Amino acid sequence: MLDPKLLEILVCPVTKTSLVYKSDCDELWCRASGLAYPVRDDIPVMLEDEARELTAQERESLSD
Amino acid sequence: MSEERTVQFGYERVSAGEKTRRVEGIFRSVADRYDLMNDLMSLGSHRLMKRMTIEMSGVRAGHTVVDLAGGTGDFAALYAPLVQPDGRVILADINAAMLEVGRDRLLDRGITNVDCCLADAEALPFGDASVNCITIGFGLRNLTDKERALSEMCRVLAPGGRLLVLEFSKPENPLIDAAYSVFQSFWPGIGRAITGDADAYRYLVESIKVHPDQKALKLMMSDAGFIDVGYENLLTGVAAIHHGRKAYGEPGGPQDGATAP
Repeated sequence: MLDPKLLEILVCPVTKTSLVYKSDCDELWCRASGLAYPVRDDIPVMLEDEARELTAQERESLSD
Repeated sequence: MSEERTVQFGYERVSAGEKTRRVEGIFRSVADRYDLMNDLMSLGSHRLMKRMTIEMSGVRAGHTVVDLAGGTGDFAALYAPLVQPDGRVILADINAAMLEVGRDRLLDRGITNVDCCLADAEALPFGDASVNCITIGFGLRNLTDKERALSEMCRVLAPGGRLLVLEFSKPENPLIDAAYSVFQSFWPGIGRAITGDADAYRYLVESIKVHPDQKALKLMMSDAGFIDVGYENLLTGVAAIHHGRKAYGEPGGPQDGATAP
């Protein structure tokens, strides 16, 4: 579980835009960069090199 | 020949990516015994230096504080009681092994208001003007692109927010400088005995020698956009605390460093 207070100030390190926490897969998703940052053992891994690319469908799901 | 930019890794010039990889390897290798080695090499003074840094921070209840390259969490542990009840401390490091040691240690001490985050100081994952104070203790030296990291720190600080850089520096007294060099020549051997890794401590000595001196680092901080930049020497300059503030009046930011979310 990610601390909501931490989520308030976290942004994508690449685009500096806000993130959506996906609790089902424990990832932080960024629409602008199309990257998903993993949360491992409650520690968000905010490194571009460790991020997964979102699928087109996943990215689209963030559009609203 | 590759035209890739090279940076200083101890006395060697290596590519930027190579430095990042090697520093990662070093801290992975020494993570468990890192604090013990720091105690020995600084004769226990690094804890006192950290306390002095905190006293210059102006951190108070409600503040958001980032302990950057915070590794084993010494600063985070000192800040945690100061920001209560509704502030927060974020322990950020690029190295997962160091961060795990730090988190476990904080939990052992019953400190629960620190969040951990794997982050690259050169590409910070925090919003603009979202932080009241950033401390980086014995970490700036290991960064690949210090200018970029300093400007990132300036970006995430709220107007009036403070940056404190505690780092090995250049002793201003030549006798102490000479004595300290002799002392440093023992570090690789001590490092091998304690962590099994002499190379890591050879890098440590070299990286201190090639790190910008007091005035050069002060200039780098001003160039990155900090105001009121100054420094305090510790042990005549064996280490120094550099301090600077983010200027007020940035468009869109809160006007008081205390009002960052």
